[in-house]
Amino acid sequence: MAVAATHVGGGIADHVHPEPQGFIRRYVFSIDHKIIGIQYLITGFIFLVLAGLLAEVIRTQLMNANGGFVSNNTYNEVYSIHGSAMVWLVVIPLMTGAFGNFVMPLQLGARDVAFPWLNMISFWMFPVAGLMLFSSFLMGAPVAGWTEYPPMSLQGEAGTSMWCAAIFLVGISSTLTGMNFMVTILKMRAPGMTLTRMPLFVWAQLATAPLSMVATTALAGALAALFMERQFGVPFFDPTKGGSPLLWQHMFWFYSHPAVYIMILPAFGMISEILPTFARKPIFGYKMIAFSSVTIALAGFMVWAHHMFTSGLAPFMQLPFMLLTFVIAVPTGVKIFSWITTLWGGKIHFTSAMLFAIGFVVLFALGGITGIFLASVPTDLHLHGTYFVVAHFHYVLVGGSLMGIFAGFYYWFPKMSGRMMNEALGKWHFWLFVAGFNGTFLPMHWLGFEGMPRRVAVYDPQFQFWNRVESVSSYVMTFAILLFFVNILVSLRRGKKAGPNPWKARTLEWQIPSPPHYYNFKHVPTVYGLPYDFSEPLPYRGLDDELNDAPAPVPAGAH
Amino acid sequence: MIEKQSSVKGLGPGFWPFTAVLSLLACANIYFWAVTPLSRWMPTAVTVATQIDELFRVFLAVGIALFIFILGYAVFFSIVFRARKDDPPDALGVQIHDNHKLELWWTVLPTIAVILISWASVRVWFPIQIASASTPAGLVVESIGHQWFYSFRYPGINGEVTGNMHLPVNEPVTLNVTSEDVIHSFWVPAMRLKQDMVPGLVNVMRFTTDRVGRYRIICTEFCGLNHAVMNTQYLVIEPKATYDAWYHKWQVKNATASNALPQISSAPIDLSDGSAAAGQVLFTQKCSACHAIGPFSQRIVGPGLKGVLHDSAHPNLLSGKPATPANVADILQHGLQGSYGQMPTQVQNALTDKDIANLVAYLNSLK
Repeated sequence: MAVAATHVGGGIADHVHPEPQGFIRRYVFSIDHKIIGIQYLITGFIFLVLAGLLAEVIRTQLMNANGGFVSNNTYNEVYSIHGSAMVWLVVIPLMTGAFGNFVMPLQLGARDVAFPWLNMISFWMFPVAGLMLFSSFLMGAPVAGWTEYPPMSLQGEAGTSMWCAAIFLVGISSTLTGMNFMVTILKMRAPGMTLTRMPLFVWAQLATAPLSMVATTALAGALAALFMERQFGVPFFDPTKGGSPLLWQHMFWFYSHPAVYIMILPAFGMISEILPTFARKPIFGYKMIAFSSVTIALAGFMVWAHHMFTSGLAPFMQLPFMLLTFVIAVPTGVKIFSWITTLWGGKIHFTSAMLFAIGFVVLFALGGITGIFLASVPTDLHLHGTYFVVAHFHYVLVGGSLMGIFAGFYYWFPKMSGRMMNEALGKWHFWLFVAGFNGTFLPMHWLGFEGMPRRVAVYDPQFQFWNRVESVSSYVMTFAILLFFVNILVSLRRGKKAGPNPWKARTLEWQIPSPPHYYNFKHVPTVYGLPYDFSEPLPYRGLDDELNDAPAPVPAGAH
Repeated sequence: MIEKQSSVKGLGPGFWPFTAVLSLLACANIYFWAVTPLSRWMPTAVTVATQIDELFRVFLAVGIALFIFILGYAVFFSIVFRARKDDPPDALGVQIHDNHKLELWWTVLPTIAVILISWASVRVWFPIQIASASTPAGLVVESIGHQWFYSFRYPGINGEVTGNMHLPVNEPVTLNVTSEDVIHSFWVPAMRLKQDMVPGLVNVMRFTTDRVGRYRIICTEFCGLNHAVMNTQYLVIEPKATYDAWYHKWQVKNATASNALPQISSAPIDLSDGSAAAGQVLFTQKCSACHAIGPFSQRIVGPGLKGVLHDSAHPNLLSGKPATPANVADILQHGLQGSYGQMPTQVQNALTDKDIANLVAYLNSLK
């Protein structure tokens, strides 16, 4: 399955492969990037529900200072799997696997990703890894959190080894997807689509792909070492046998800090598509946004030890990691200012997608600001390992990434299904979610400052009031997500027909039918400019037949 | 295809009045943090806590002010520039792409802000993490993390102290923390300081106590089933006299325990039949927490000891005497108080004369 459009004698020959017949080839072991994207989406949402239920076990336990809902050991298992699943089975696969797969080739004017079979294999590793991760509950799940620091993780029960294997597998999936996307973006753009004419969502995926490729391999090394130490006694991390506990922390964070950007950069891309579409004006500072994504991705490799300021790093080593982390505030600030300026002078339509996009900008900004407290060594010495950290990364990962996923879903659902979502339910979803989210995570900032450590099944009774506020708010948040799933199910059956371009958006995926044909484009279009000039004619040629009854391209003969 | 584009006069309706309101709120916020010490919510027990709190207040003042502007403008622009019912369905916003002057400003301004917060951070970081290492060690105490409690070692007290950790007020302290099983953490919120207790590694905290009180010690690194209740011990900072009484009580209690304090012999120790192999085992048990087997410069608490008796660059020991086996034995017997901190005595380290002979033989074998 090679490149679908090839240059022949100066023109573009349309060369497509026949659509596979039969349910299994079409919807189960599909090699179509759109189907694979939707497979990722459904699987990711299933894991979102499971990991979200675990979150509610956590919040229910913390209603009372002395716990009592589940045993302390079960509680430890629950938050470990909650964190692991949310990172590796929900946010990363949804950001890259789901939206990257469905949207990115369409925005490029490509017929598929560069390696469709690899894409299918990458996908199928993901649900298998997810089942492995959740199966660890049957054999004693890991308890040391999603970071699984040794020597603690060496004491964990058999499920900890299963955790290693599961994360290793989903890591391979992520690495292969990163490679696939990188080649796709660099080699399969429609004619005329130079790098500086690519939609910003594609830029975000281009910045993310090398992170998935390079950083995840460090994680694979760490996991393999932990697995070998646990199963075969090879002493990598146990200090009584000459190992180093800090080695794990370095290897883990060398992956997991870039992983933070794997989880947020694609959301930056989505927001940069949604804001101009619903403000009816060009994105402000296209080049600055694209360039800052790349800067953030590069700098993201050089800051990992800021997670280890209290671990026993040589004090002078704290300085470069602290300063480099501060530097990331500059490109992040540039993005936030560009998005807010995109709103200025617009004709803003408050669709659900737009509400989530604006909410993203504000909540992510707060998560970024609290990041400064944790990046600075003196303040981190107080805050490290407390609920302040929990608050910070939930603002980034829920207020940021998950809000981005919701925004992207409301935006591209019509393209995926051909139907519109229910806007009234969408707005209930937004307002309840934002209220519940802030009620859950805002008090954690002062709880952490005042002395509540993270990963505790019981806590000092002086913190009970705010913990109850948080738990009740978390139920509101869960109810909002329930409305979201109800909305999806109702809209799939009863939603009104979307047509090709319900948002009057200008990127390529909106110029073809919803849902798109198997081959995406009847004729591969030629691109003449950026997709954000709302007052100009569309910058594409060769799309005239996409929405009429002209015959579809003839499949090439069998290979 | 000509569509209806909107045009905006200046920066749009109400921009400057609204900016004035936001600025006022931001200034009120900055003023609030300028006059409000954080000890209102959480007492400070050591001098560095006050410095760290000042940095906290800088971040709170700047961070919340920034957030006021981001939230304010996001909401304000959304309201002012919303599509209205009487707009034509194809109405467009102002078709601008960028503004290089503006973009330059919001690259330069965050850069200046980053330089400022870097400066503010380094100003607090340098004294507590770097400069403090070269000041006198003061009282050297060790805390060891266990699943799930802390124990303490004090110079002059045999064995380990359990229960609360006591310190005299207005005293510089060097606290060496380590663990005997998994990673724990030593956090006293009132100190604003925390270090992980990592097995096989000694992490150092340096501070000067300045307020009498009882402050909770909390573990913040997950350490197993009872991690959540590893917070029942206190740091007790008390006047010198009260501290001395407590110290003396433990000294007597531990001395009359099964292992009575050995005496420091007055005669020089016979070093003739020391076993380097036995010395090596002892070294890992008694010395390696503070001394590396590496060059002089490889410092943990004390200097690295590789070739201590054969190092032409350092012909003298830190005691000022020439590097001979007898002078090394003298330090092991009587301890040493110097710029590197406190080397415990033979009694504090529970070393027999034979142990010292073995250790000297081992150190002599390192070249």
